[in-house]
Amino acid sequence: MNIFVLLAIIAALVAIQVVGTRFVKLNRLAWMAIWWIALYLALSFGIDPPLPTTIIALFMAIVTLALLAYLSADSEELETAKNTIVSFMTERKYMVPLLIAVVAIPLLVAFKVYSDMTQPPQPPASGRTIHPPPPASINFEGNTINLATANNPYRDLEESDPEAFAQHNANGRRIYFENCFYCHGDNMEGSGMFAHGYDPLPANFNDPTTISQLQESYLFWRIAKGAPGLPGESTPWASAMPAWENFLTEEEIWDVIIFLYEFTGYEPRAQGMPH
Amino acid sequence: MKRLALLTAFFVLSASTLFAQDLGTEAQRAEGKVVYDQKCAHCHGYNGDAESVATAYLRPTPRDFTSGNYKFRSTASGELPTTEDIKRSIRDGMPYTSMPAWQGILSESDITNLTYYIKSFDQMFNGPYGSPEAITINSQAYDESRLARGREVFEANQCADCHGENGRGNGESAAELMDDWGYPIRPADMTKRWTFRASATREDIYRTFTTGLNGTPMPSYQQTIEEDDRWALVDYVWSLSRDEPDYGTVVTAQGASGAIDISQGPALFENVPGTYFPIVGQLIEPGRAFYPGVNGVEVKAIYNQDDIAFLLTWNDMTAETSGSNGLTMEAPLFDPSMADSAAADTAGTYSDAVALLLPAETMAGVEKPYFMFGDSKNPMDIWYTDLATDNAGVFVGRGISNIQETEQTLERYANYDDGVWTVIFKRKRPMDGGLSFDEGTFVPITFSVWDGFNHERGNKRGLSAWYHVYLSPLETQSAAGPMLKWGLITLLVELALIGFIRWRNKKEAVAA
Repeated sequence: MNIFVLLAIIAALVAIQVVGTRFVKLNRLAWMAIWWIALYLALSFGIDPPLPTTIIALFMAIVTLALLAYLSADSEELETAKNTIVSFMTERKYMVPLLIAVVAIPLLVAFKVYSDMTQPPQPPASGRTIHPPPPASINFEGNTINLATANNPYRDLEESDPEAFAQHNANGRRIYFENCFYCHGDNMEGSGMFAHGYDPLPANFNDPTTISQLQESYLFWRIAKGAPGLPGESTPWASAMPAWENFLTEEEIWDVIIFLYEFTGYEPRAQGMPH
Repeated sequence: MKRLALLTAFFVLSASTLFAQDLGTEAQRAEGKVVYDQKCAHCHGYNGDAESVATAYLRPTPRDFTSGNYKFRSTASGELPTTEDIKRSIRDGMPYTSMPAWQGILSESDITNLTYYIKSFDQMFNGPYGSPEAITINSQAYDESRLARGREVFEANQCADCHGENGRGNGESAAELMDDWGYPIRPADMTKRWTFRASATREDIYRTFTTGLNGTPMPSYQQTIEEDDRWALVDYVWSLSRDEPDYGTVVTAQGASGAIDISQGPALFENVPGTYFPIVGQLIEPGRAFYPGVNGVEVKAIYNQDDIAFLLTWNDMTAETSGSNGLTMEAPLFDPSMADSAAADTAGTYSDAVALLLPAETMAGVEKPYFMFGDSKNPMDIWYTDLATDNAGVFVGRGISNIQETEQTLERYANYDDGVWTVIFKRKRPMDGGLSFDEGTFVPITFSVWDGFNHERGNKRGLSAWYHVYLSPLETQSAAGPMLKWGLITLLVELALIGFIRWRNKKEAVAA
């Protein structure tokens, strides 16, 4: 949502409403045009990430139909609107604006054709699922790990043996700086010094929608299997995330997960809680 | 001399006023320590001495706060930085190093407390030189008429010895430069202003050669260059680079007029727009390149009915055209030796090389092979040349452990001049089988560059993620015809509508 664009549009509508009722009588046709433009602007610029043009066209077709239905709901208003159009096209006093409209509309159409034809073509876009559902279990070096029940085996140490837990955390930190931080960054914001070379950008662990929403077993899956282990809808060929099972032991992966939560201050989502 | 004067001044003044150190309160330093241990110690070490788990992977190495050596200062050469200098380094970070900008992550008071804690690592800040004075910078606006003077100053002060004749960081002594800790250090590439460590406003550039960079071979020119000449030099340096890297995602291959004869070199690509792509280190498989020698490559492409050709240019401090390189050459997982680059005993072992990588077959939808060297299911075509040789070849990659040379021919042109490699690849299109370069389509593409000086070989390389080459149609349809057609159709519809309404209106009027 681009809240400022939406606020500006609402403010403009209110302003027109005030001016329209106080000073100039706007007929229903003018109001329809204003609503049409306002909705078009809101759909085109008020939503982030931007909607594809085909979706906008679809919405605007619905908007047009709705506005026509609104107009024809009241036969008196319909008559007024019809008379406005007819008098614009027939009466002598509208001759000049009519001529301007007759010339301007084909020019606008020609311009649209031109801009469509000269626009630089866009590379094929692929939809992307950010947090794909994990598989039921994964194979790690011959062992099956059930992702629905697997817990970080060192998590309990936080209570029972803080010293040992701190060691796992320190080990996780070493692993992070040996392997992860060039992309995920010193502050885990996904803005490491090589992050600009990748699209999609490396995950930002400070973002409250990433690791704080996930179970530790989910992180284990993502770290162990990397991009090549993603399902098709998550564009595994686009992500540069390596499959760390080839380089890290099971314990090392659990340790680095502890470090991710300790550094960011988030708590992992408990097992058994729905996504 | 300056220090002596300061010392004298200190003895005179100390009787009446104690030097005005800016060390913060006990509480501020204690709060700074909390932030430091959480955010900074991972690289700079718990004792501020840059001994940390990360040091081996960082070039430039993290700052050693116990050494009294600070690169970025607004104070005279050899002096300590001001409190504001340290705060600024924390706030803005250092572009293209692993030091991030902490503004927005740490609050202003966090940064202040942190600065006081960092100062406590070095007793010098307690001493008579603890609060040196900042230089004043009287900004001067860019003045094109001063460029010639700026160039004269550049030449007179031997800037080219390190930074190169045209500022590409390729001067004669560039390869031998070391910092005070004995680590190899590269002179700035002035044609890429965005990579300047101390950021790249005109004032930053002015400050850098006014105060120098302590601990590095970059001296201070405060005493030797007049102020106006320093600003002329700023203008000259400023003129060498665009403002932003302008990284692109698509390179457009344009139709070539006539046959493509790559012996003509870059002239063949005149007036063809280029696209600049970021190159980053290969960090995943063995041969990890934590500090690759090349950080970007510019690419242009042309094609005709028979052939397609790519021009790749990149800045390289030195051309390694002796020794050898190869896609399958072994490199250790990571060689943490500090003198990893520029070690004299292995100079000339590895040559420079470059490759252009594409899916070996046109793939369905938006799928692509794994971007490194392909994968077992989806092979990759690797157009590769070792720049110590005159040859180029096409390899098929199914992952690092399965790279095979093919019989296909690949023509190559290569040239190194004043810090710039220029390489052209040319291949048949459409190819017999395999990937077809169809008009009007997007073909996925990635790039790899090996800097032999930096011991890059095999999988130790700079690489890019997936981008696209777009084959702009050979015959571009003129927009005039469709514009006229649709404009006229609209006009006719309008006239028909108005005519109909007028006719009916008249009829109704008559009827009434």
